[in-house]
Amino acid sequence: MSDLWVGKLRALRPLAVMGAIGVLVAACGGSTTTTSSNLAADQTLRFPSDSDIGTLDPAQINAETDVELYQNLFDGLLKFDDKLNPVPDIATKLPDISSDGLTYTFKLNPNAKFWNGDPVTATDFIYSFSRAAAEGGNAYGTDLDHVVGYDKVSADTNWPADKQMLSGMTAPDDHTLVIKLISPWYVFNTELALASATQVVDPKVVNTDDANWWSKPETAVGTGPYKMVAYTPKQSAQFDAVPNWWGSPKPTVQHVKIDFIGDMAQGVAKYEQGGYDLIGYGGMGSDTPTADILRIQADPTESKQLHFVNKVRTIWVQYGFGFAPFAGDLQSGPAHDIRMALSLAIDRAQMVNVACANGITCSAATGGLITKGLKGYAGDNSDPLAKFDPATAKTLLKSGDPTGSKTANLTYYYDPNKAIYKATAENVQAQWQANLGIHVNLQPVDHAAFIKNYTAHKYALFREGWQADYDHPQDWWDNLFIKTGGSNGGAFTDPVVEQLVAKADAEPIDKAIPDYLAATKQMEADAAYAPLVYFKGEFLFKSYLQGAGSNNFNDFYWNEMKIGTH
Amino acid sequence: MFTRGALLYIGQRLVLIVFTAVAVSSIVFLGIHRLPGDALLNERRPDPGAERELLHYYHLDLPLSQQYFVFVGGVLHGDLGESLVNRSVRITPLLLREARVSAEVGGAAIVFTIGIGIILGVIAAVRQNTWVDYLATTTSVIGYSMPNFVIASILFLVFGVLLYKWTGGALYYNSGWTGSWGTLDQIILPGFALGFPYASIVARLTRASMLEVIRQDYVRTARAKGLTDRIVIVRHALRNALIPVVTILGPLVIGIVTGSVVIENIFGIPGLGKEFATSILQRDYNIVIGLFTFYAIIIALANLLVDLLYTVIDPRIRY
Repeated sequence: MSDLWVGKLRALRPLAVMGAIGVLVAACGGSTTTTSSNLAADQTLRFPSDSDIGTLDPAQINAETDVELYQNLFDGLLKFDDKLNPVPDIATKLPDISSDGLTYTFKLNPNAKFWNGDPVTATDFIYSFSRAAAEGGNAYGTDLDHVVGYDKVSADTNWPADKQMLSGMTAPDDHTLVIKLISPWYVFNTELALASATQVVDPKVVNTDDANWWSKPETAVGTGPYKMVAYTPKQSAQFDAVPNWWGSPKPTVQHVKIDFIGDMAQGVAKYEQGGYDLIGYGGMGSDTPTADILRIQADPTESKQLHFVNKVRTIWVQYGFGFAPFAGDLQSGPAHDIRMALSLAIDRAQMVNVACANGITCSAATGGLITKGLKGYAGDNSDPLAKFDPATAKTLLKSGDPTGSKTANLTYYYDPNKAIYKATAENVQAQWQANLGIHVNLQPVDHAAFIKNYTAHKYALFREGWQADYDHPQDWWDNLFIKTGGSNGGAFTDPVVEQLVAKADAEPIDKAIPDYLAATKQMEADAAYAPLVYFKGEFLFKSYLQGAGSNNFNDFYWNEMKIGTH
Repeated sequence: MFTRGALLYIGQRLVLIVFTAVAVSSIVFLGIHRLPGDALLNERRPDPGAERELLHYYHLDLPLSQQYFVFVGGVLHGDLGESLVNRSVRITPLLLREARVSAEVGGAAIVFTIGIGIILGVIAAVRQNTWVDYLATTTSVIGYSMPNFVIASILFLVFGVLLYKWTGGALYYNSGWTGSWGTLDQIILPGFALGFPYASIVARLTRASMLEVIRQDYVRTARAKGLTDRIVIVRHALRNALIPVVTILGPLVIGIVTGSVVIENIFGIPGLGKEFATSILQRDYNIVIGLFTFYAIIIALANLLVDLLYTVIDPRIRY
């Protein structure tokens, strides 16, 4: 081979390494120009989400990811403040409630407008609530089931054409709204504050395209401080502040850009590069990879940006009350003893160390199933089912299953779509083996199939969980622990619990709480479940962000945030 | 450009591709509806009436055979339906946009595959048994020994995380995707991660093929005529050496297309690969069926293209 040819090949080498050089020609983290104040000139908030928008239609919305965005685009009569208290939103004050608890009267803010300039009137609320009642049974339209006329409207399968209105809602004038209920329902204010079915939409816009109006920037018309200006499905969305927005505080952040990414590890890396201002908004607070959390926690600078918030999700072991050896014997008897034995044999402290990275991503559920920080939480270490007492557990197991035959072939079903479900499943299996000497088989089931099977009462022993929709015990009790609860996967029923819950549901919250807590005590005596852990949310906020945060439920509103110089 | 015979061959293959697409979509349609669970399930159970309405909206309340005819009817009109998870998102424009994104990354991967592969292979062959050959061969072995997701993760760590720290944020890989077309610096790393394992295969193949060709009489004759080494290698040897390389381009393209499922997820690229993983996990039937059909068509077309390339490289081949 001649030197000339080798020389030619050498000339080609730059081409061969062009890719590597190209990589080095990468974007630089731009510094932000500052204004004379301590705010950045560029008020653009950037963050990732690993889920795309499911829907932003109030009648259809039911996912946390969507709610976190949506609460900045739409308004209702009431909203939650950052401490989860219902406060006026488009209503000028909390409603006047008649002495019989059946009639709610709201006065509307006459300045409230949709971003397209249309004024908000009481009839818009009647339209919006009626539409949600008719079309939102798959989401939160059922929150309106105590409004007079709900049954008729919700049965209307052709609402876009029929437009039947809830007969219990009237508008004496443009800015007065009267809602009549079929029975006292003290959860109603809380349900009205929830950013879901009870938000107002613009009938003029929605009527143009009932199914798709929310997905196009030009017709996604709301009353909130932000509006959608760009949306590329499965890629990104941008929301801009509404000029001269009617409410307060006026938005300082002018643009909110969200990337729908596939992997939050990539999101964390980009956050560390300065490409994102925060991690965890948009319902992603529990999706940050544990390895990244541990790494950041060990970094003296970055760890200051890491925040943990108790979220509103609990997981527990649920017994199927339609299956041996768990059926019957509510307060005492062999089945009760077996349930109690399984619960007392779990050391939650060990579980959170093993399954939750030393308690970083979750905490032991020791205060009942309603998570800490919510109304109805029973108090730290109050749940006798959360105690670790292997000696008593063994005695109870011997009493309930003297020969060991009843617990010889138990199978625990779980869905491995979240790492914590798998980790807790493996941990309870190990602890039951070590502390009770019984081997429980683990059966992972695909999430969708798992949900379908357990809500159809097909499992005797399984992972159950709940993420609260709003801060009221009724949300837990009516869905999970009464006979008609749609998510009562264990088919648990106790007449005492049914009575207490029915009574509590019809009481103001201060009177209802003792009844809900009494129901909690009853379930504890029934050994109806084995509590496992409460979830925590992890957030990363750049130090220059002001007003960023999250309560148990929601991210703080975007219009409360400011981007400082950096 | 094409002879009558070639056009007939292309026509036959296109008809076969249509049948392939229909067969694939049918198999996937029937298969995915056998899976337990569906996209509409949630811990919070809807009221039964609303659930019925939702199933009706998506035609999921129809018998499977009728659902299939609704699907085929839509396909014939170029409409793959609406996402079950992301309401109002029409699948056809979604997949077309994502296909463009994947094509950019896949295109970069093919450039790396062919470019790096051939250059490494030729260098190794012409400098056989020297340190250059050993280096090129070792690089190839590393390339095809490592799965692309390992390469991707290492590249992401080095250029996305460590380089950012080493340079104080002055220089780093800017992950994600900006705008409709992405940017060059966003495409290079995933393209490299996707293409490098296949480039290694091409390099090995090119080296072996070149070693065989440069020892043949017609190459010796060309040198004896006084032609420069460059002309001998590029015009005479390389062209014939590439025939076996072209043979494996079809499978390589398939590998690149399917490999994008992992790579796009790691780099956060909103293409077909990311969609593939997401939609299966979410049981978004309509998207999954559309995607499989789309992939089947792309792969079939890629194979057809490779077959046609033979005629360009080797004039002896005729259809």
